[in-house]
Amino acid sequence: MHLNFRDKLNSSKFLITAEISPPKGTNFSASLENASQLKGVVDALNVTDNQCSIMHMSSLAFSKLLLDDGHEPIMQLTCRDRNRLGLQSDLLGAYAFGIRNICLMTGDFPSCGDHPSSKPVYDLDSVQLLQLVRKLDAGVDFAGNKLNGGTSFCTGAVSGINPSNPLQLIKLEKKVNCGADFIQTQAVFDLGMFEEFMEAINHLGVPVIAGLIPLKSLGMAEFMNRNISGISVPEKIISRMRKASNPVEEGLSIASETISELVKLSRGIHIMPIGSHRNTPKLLYMARLLRK
Amino acid sequence: MIITSEKPFEKILALLKNEDNMFVIGCNVCAAKLRIGGEPEVLEMCRKLEDSGKHVVGWVLPTAACSIRSFESLVEKNEKITDACCILVMACGSGVSSVANVVDVPVYCSSDTISLGCSSGGKLISNQCIMCGNCIIDKFGGICPKSQCSKGLLNGPCGGNVEGMCEIDRLKDCAWTLIYERLKKIERLDLLYIVHPPQEHGFK
Repeated sequence: MHLNFRDKLNSSKFLITAEISPPKGTNFSASLENASQLKGVVDALNVTDNQCSIMHMSSLAFSKLLLDDGHEPIMQLTCRDRNRLGLQSDLLGAYAFGIRNICLMTGDFPSCGDHPSSKPVYDLDSVQLLQLVRKLDAGVDFAGNKLNGGTSFCTGAVSGINPSNPLQLIKLEKKVNCGADFIQTQAVFDLGMFEEFMEAINHLGVPVIAGLIPLKSLGMAEFMNRNISGISVPEKIISRMRKASNPVEEGLSIASETISELVKLSRGIHIMPIGSHRNTPKLLYMARLLRK
Repeated sequence: MIITSEKPFEKILALLKNEDNMFVIGCNVCAAKLRIGGEPEVLEMCRKLEDSGKHVVGWVLPTAACSIRSFESLVEKNEKITDACCILVMACGSGVSSVANVVDVPVYCSSDTISLGCSSGGKLISNQCIMCGNCIIDKFGGICPKSQCSKGLLNGPCGGNVEGMCEIDRLKDCAWTLIYERLKKIERLDLLYIVHPPQEHGFK
């Protein structure tokens, strides 16, 4: 029997998802080729929605292309570019196309990307967007009008992993109370911090899929420490990257060791390589989550 | 207080390129406090316009440019306004609109309106209120995320908060960090657990 992402989420299987970007343009063959390396390797592909506010093909369209190519997509949807009308239209369209998994988030501010003066929408925030999806699931729209066919989405939300950030933890609790089926986290480097985070949210009983970014260089680690909210690369890892003669290999080793611990702490991992997925099957093999 | 900033004089002159015989109206409230529409600034504007070859027929400083009773009330203050071919208002957008409502000549604005802010502790602070028509500022300890959070988020911060600073401006405090600190101080952190519905637009 074929188990889909939701079935697996409800089982005890350790989940592996991977982040993939739609193309910047209409030619999608290279993007599908990148995805094809993950066929039979991961449980679902998480499709970004104008990530970093850089304009790409829509996550909806690319999710459909992935679906047609035999993948199971998780369509990301941000609050940045659409008001509640647009969000609902896209969600209904996605469901009609066969997309069953979504991951909801606020979205980076437009000034971070390549159209810095575009109007930031944020008509809803990520908590309200979760409420909206649960209404569509109940067969009514956000205004309460009956739909001719509702949805039944497996719905994820995102969170940072700092256990000493009360605002983040409270928002996460709101997301769970508003119906998040799973939580996908910011990249984990500090396992001690992640363990504390998991303890702090244990009472919420929500499946957590831990984010993972394989490091490629010392500069990348230092940059993320300085500039990316919620990412904290510990000195021990920085020092390993500094000494490494082959930083890409060292980054994979670190990621693989991190995965070995995450298997004990979380319900799954979400791999976000910067660039292509060329090394993702190798990483999963190193972490013994994949047989050759 | 309405926060405005003065347009560069060259821009004002460009706006008035095809105009002459102008009348200048200042504002003795916010614009005067900001020193871009009080008496000294109005007099300076008249002088600069004259120096640039424009004829200024007169000027007036109403108590508040946004509260003009009638054209006659302006005439009472300075009857020269009846000779004006256009009016330059040194006030916020509301002041300009208020003047435009009572005159029959073209109206120009010497400033750009930025936000509804305040002057507190001797400091000017922008973006304190978006005038949404549905005030729930008490739920946030007196710091409104609709105006002060860059994304206007009502249910907590986004993931972009780095060490208490905003994702889009690392020099600006994250509104949610400020809200948290304030609610902690007044012992109302329980308010953070409220799930707020989205802002209703279109009913103002």
